[in-house]
Amino acid sequence: MKILAVTACPTGIAHTYMAAEALEEAAKGKGYDIKVETRGSVGVENELSAEDIASADAIVLACDTAVPMERFAGKRLINVPVAEALKDAGGLIEQSLKADLYGDLADQVSQIKSQKSAERKGVYKHLMNGVSFMIPFVVAGGIAIAISFIFGYNAFEQEGSLAAYLMNIGGGSGAFGLMIPILAGYIAFSIADRPGLAPGMIGGAVAMQLNSGFLGGLVAGFLAGYLALLIKKYIKLPKNLQGIMPVLVIPVLGTLATGLILFYVIGQPVAAINTAMINFLQGMSGSNAIILGLILGLMMAVDMGGPINKAAYAFGTGTLTAAIGTGSMVMAAVMAAGMVPPLGLALATVLFKNKFTVAEKEAGKAAWVLGASFITEGAIPFAAADPIRVIPSIMIGSALTGALSMAFKATLAVPHGGIFVFFAVENIFGYLIAIVAGTVLTALLVGTLKKSIEG
Amino acid sequence: MLINEHLVALNLEATSKEDAIRKLAALAYKEGRINDQDKYIESVLHREAEYSTGVGFGVAIPHGRTNAVNEPVLLFATVKSMDWQSLDGEPIDLIFMIGVPEEETGETHLRILAALSRKLMKAPFREALRSVTTPADLIEVMRENDLLSI
Repeated sequence: MKILAVTACPTGIAHTYMAAEALEEAAKGKGYDIKVETRGSVGVENELSAEDIASADAIVLACDTAVPMERFAGKRLINVPVAEALKDAGGLIEQSLKADLYGDLADQVSQIKSQKSAERKGVYKHLMNGVSFMIPFVVAGGIAIAISFIFGYNAFEQEGSLAAYLMNIGGGSGAFGLMIPILAGYIAFSIADRPGLAPGMIGGAVAMQLNSGFLGGLVAGFLAGYLALLIKKYIKLPKNLQGIMPVLVIPVLGTLATGLILFYVIGQPVAAINTAMINFLQGMSGSNAIILGLILGLMMAVDMGGPINKAAYAFGTGTLTAAIGTGSMVMAAVMAAGMVPPLGLALATVLFKNKFTVAEKEAGKAAWVLGASFITEGAIPFAAADPIRVIPSIMIGSALTGALSMAFKATLAVPHGGIFVFFAVENIFGYLIAIVAGTVLTALLVGTLKKSIEG
Repeated sequence: MLINEHLVALNLEATSKEDAIRKLAALAYKEGRINDQDKYIESVLHREAEYSTGVGFGVAIPHGRTNAVNEPVLLFATVKSMDWQSLDGEPIDLIFMIGVPEEETGETHLRILAALSRKLMKAPFREALRSVTTPADLIEVMRENDLLSI
């Protein structure tokens, strides 16, 4: 067992520390691990880290003052006056292990998300770092372009018009032009820290010149990051010159090496692959497109925000970078399928009231919002409680939605936002049908598979 | 130094919680640690009213943070078992009284008080406090437990 505690009192002179000591002694007596954060007059000591919280079984707050709480979302937690810890520290620890989870569904979901990002390792972590920095650029750019289209599809061709300015902000000379450099730069940043940023971003810009798109950006980012690491490892400067490593040596050598390798060696083949992929996607129609939508739907639902979901998502975002202006069918299918699991479960809690606990029905209300916002993780609490029945149900519902979205040829010009970016959807009517169909199917499957709750 | 032999009162005669606090405040005043007894006592009693500083195990730690305190002070007294409305409902026989200036004056003394608070949760330390016979003994116990300076 690992217990965490926070102790605090208004004067912060004595009780804070006595309570901490009492909790530590009581935990030791039970053979539990414990870490106690004291928020006394000396300031915050022994502060609980995100890793501590992730690995804790329960949290005891013995505090008479307000302490930061968001960090404990999704954890078993009791919150009592500091004096309680002096009276019965052992009892508090036992109580905390049986306590309710702290926070509402939205809090729990954000906690799960931050835990997941802390758990990310290696290549996947670097990739997701790049993607997460890129997304705001895609969102801002996509929305600017979508607004421009409100004035008509060709309105931006009129120089000096608002539509043209919006396109300049969002399109290839603005936000969309930065997308791939940002992706590559922050992949390299994740690998090699700050010195990797310049080689990565410049590598991304080179990848764009080579028309190697999203794929080229990925390659450039990883290439730049690992080259920067190698330079750091193998080039040794005298101590008094080491200050120039991160500002001069790594950026210059890393950038030159990345850029030249891209131009002379891997740029062309990557560009060819990228072009082939885009042609394949754009040329895809009929049953192939539907099968792709189906597979993406399954991927979006199977681990609800995990690596498989993110792989499908990153793929969808990648197709956007090649689809300035036209929007992407793949992106549309990915978002629709990602919205379905929480929506379907929320609907199930309404349709099959006797098959969900009171807490789950409450969580269902939040799941509507999470689903509508394209936060697939909103399904996790339901799936965690009953994975065997919930996960297949949401996978089938999402697969239907993905396939229908492709069949209706709905497209989406932005990578995130749920119902809030529906104005950037083409064929919104078909898109809605796809989402509703998957939602209803998920709800019916869950309702049929789940057993009634006793009593 | 937070505490010295002149800030120790063994077998203090006190009729009530307030009486004990008053008598210890007088000692602190005599040593020049506080400049206004009434104001300091008021601050301590105010803190006491929030909820008792009788923390259990026969120990009370009345404390006040006010600009009536010139420099941080720790006082120690042993008393005949008396009521302090303690958290565990038991009477107390050991008092540590604390005074801290309103304005922060460095954290050394706060660290000592934190360490003292932790020590008080340990039975052997309380036993050692109960067995002192002279103020010098008490200072020695504090020294052995690294509570004179950090």
